Amino acid sequence: MKKKLFIIATAIAISPILFSFCGFYVSKADGTLKNKTSQVILVRDGNKTVLTMYNDFKGDTKDFAMVVPVPVVLGKDDIKVVDQSIFQRLNDYSAPRLVEYWDQNPCDQYTVNESSISMAKADIVSQRGNANKRVKDKDLGVKVEAKYLIGEYDILILSAKESGGLKEWLTSNGYKIPEAAEEVLDPYIKSNLKFFVVKVNEKEKNKLNNNFLRPIQINFNSPKFMLPIRLGMANADGDQDLIVYAFSRKGRIECTNYRNVNIATDKNIPLFVQKNFNSFYSNLFTKQWDNEDKSVAFLEYAWDVSPQNFYHCDPCIATAPSQQDLVQSGVWWLGGKDWSDYSDINNDEPDNGSKNVHFTRLHFRYNRKSFAQDLSFQVTPNTETFQARYVITHPATGNFDCTAGKKYLQDLKLRRKKELNELTILTGTNINNWQEAAAQNDEASTTETQYANLLPQIKEEEQKEKNIPAGFIVFGIAILASVSIIKWKGVI
Amino acid sequence: MFVQNIFKDVRYYQILFQSIFLSYGIIFLHWQNEGWLYGTYFITSIVTQLLCEIIFAKNKNYFLDSFKKSIPSVIISSFGLSLLLKTNLLWVAIFAAFVSIISKYIIRINGKHIFNPSALGIVATILLTGKAWVNAGQWGSGIVLLFTVFCLGFIVVTKVQNITISLTFLGVFVGLLFMRQIIYLGWPIDYFVQSISTGSLLLFSFFMITDPKTTPNHTVSKIIWCIAIAFVAFYLATFKFINAAPIFVLVFAQPLVPLLDKLFKTKSYQWHNKIEHKIISNFTINKLSINNSFN
Repeated sequence: MKKKLFIIATAIAISPILFSFCGFYVSKADGTLKNKTSQVILVRDGNKTVLTMYNDFKGDTKDFAMVVPVPVVLGKDDIKVVDQSIFQRLNDYSAPRLVEYWDQNPCDQYTVNESSISMAKADIVSQRGNANKRVKDKDLGVKVEAKYLIGEYDILILSAKESGGLKEWLTSNGYKIPEAAEEVLDPYIKSNLKFFVVKVNEKEKNKLNNNFLRPIQINFNSPKFMLPIRLGMANADGDQDLIVYAFSRKGRIECTNYRNVNIATDKNIPLFVQKNFNSFYSNLFTKQWDNEDKSVAFLEYAWDVSPQNFYHCDPCIATAPSQQDLVQSGVWWLGGKDWSDYSDINNDEPDNGSKNVHFTRLHFRYNRKSFAQDLSFQVTPNTETFQARYVITHPATGNFDCTAGKKYLQDLKLRRKKELNELTILTGTNINNWQEAAAQNDEASTTETQYANLLPQIKEEEQKEKNIPAGFIVFGIAILASVSIIKWKGVI
Repeated sequence: MFVQNIFKDVRYYQILFQSIFLSYGIIFLHWQNEGWLYGTYFITSIVTQLLCEIIFAKNKNYFLDSFKKSIPSVIISSFGLSLLLKTNLLWVAIFAAFVSIISKYIIRINGKHIFNPSALGIVATILLTGKAWVNAGQWGSGIVLLFTVFCLGFIVVTKVQNITISLTFLGVFVGLLFMRQIIYLGWPIDYFVQSISTGSLLLFSFFMITDPKTTPNHTVSKIIWCIAIAFVAFYLATFKFINAAPIFVLVFAQPLVPLLDKLFKTKSYQWHNKIEHKIISNFTINKLSINNSFN
């Protein structure tokens, strides 16, 4: 009955994206800088890691400073600034997507279906500012291992002997450290981590003709494969979102010290959600996060995005990241190609694993209580694809007088009821909340099949249903297991 | 009385507990999609076991009997694989289960198999195929789970009286983690709690390292062996960032068992030794209680 599908989709802006990730902001004034959502690109193969941190600092850049624990002292060549748009492209491409289908009128064989594309984009705003801070060195057990000027950033790499000294050093150099940060400084120092301290160089910043801070990319060799989120919790109250775009040669990247959960996907939802897709997904995420006890890593996308693989998603909601995009993201094993030389373009390289790229998008929502540890990861050989995909279906229109048409209307009614139920289950929102949206954005085939008219019926049915407490299920299974063992024991 | 007879073989306790863990995973942790994987592990293991019994049986007429006797062990190692080893390829799953079972028949010293079947299956599959992995994070870190698994595991080991192994290993491993994370590095306590409240560690301590067939016989050598495993596993996990370090260390330490057995001589373990004794006493008690109830 469904004849043709077409897509389409919405890249999601879960919330305005702010930088917060693994560093803490330090502010000279008693600033109330808060960070809520951050994005990082994480590329890993063997012991090498490339980490790119999105910088969407809002405020006066002279108040901007970031401290990131790193396992080794980074050389100048290990640090660079990259194009900010890469994050937008990766986000658009891997974001949860809404898919549209069109029903065909069963009484009419020759309807032409249309497809359209809609995109809701993240509003990412950055603000300009400038900064200039003097750094004084003191004998506090703090050693400036290296000092670089890279792009618009002044970068220091510090090593410290004890947290008190580091704290004092930072304070005397004009950084204001959140109290909560002290709890984690000591363990980091004792784990032999170095501190990558970033500030904005006003002069260089003014030379650039842009009003944002570019992302910083660092690379290093270490068997440790982790993201230090604990420091980032220092000046953030409440929950913070972190989106990790991870790339590996072998397969999916998984979190090893938190549970990996696939976000609910392939769900049929009512048509009117199209208008509110962002808030729909945001509710869905919050609901699932609550249900899963919060300490989890949500998988939102996983696919083989190797340049030789043309099939990257179904449907694709944005242009796939190009080879250049990937190289810029830090996928170093794709680098080295001379882009003015196309002689190898038709040579099918044998798939020796060396040019494969697997893209995993993980979404964390962390807080101090649920995330006691930094995030640890591993590259797995899991090549299974995944995408967060939600389906809306436009009903057929026209005359439904034929037998098939009547049956279609009945099925439609059932389907739409299911969609409404699904919506309630997914978002945890009371069904009454949909009344208005349902009445406004509907294109029902008949009055009977309008969402608004189906809602009261669902409410009635809802009351009749009773949930079976989950505890009973476990108990039942335990009993079943014992009984089967007993029975089977008798056989042997 | 009925139940006492049923659980005369401790392996049934293990099966019961492992099935509870798997049910927990399927119901609460969404492992439903992996049904095919569990099925493959179980079917391959059972088929391999049957074939091995046919091929390696000393008396061909009784292979079916010995096959039936070995079923609980096969189920236990299948559960071991199901609970720990992940893959999304059918042939890899078949390979893992096949290696687990066949190792019992072809890698033997002094009539005793060397490797714990599921541990070897996991390690061999990860190292040889590169298409499977273990994720310690799959359990979440509910403290309740920690408690439950601990208690359940406790009962199992108490029954087999192999508590020494579990407690020695856990004590040393957890103790080392505590010293490193809390005392040396100074992390808050919940950091440490999260490290130890993973189902994988507890499954390993209570169901894998305790396998009496593949541990040294003598108590002293048992303790030395466990402490060594705990130390090496701690080192690899903490400083080399190796996932599932205990399982790898266990497999590489198992060839040392025959050596330790030579150094510390004692009687080797039989599944039914103590149990038969128990049954007799149970039977006597039951008889008494029946008599009492009639009186």
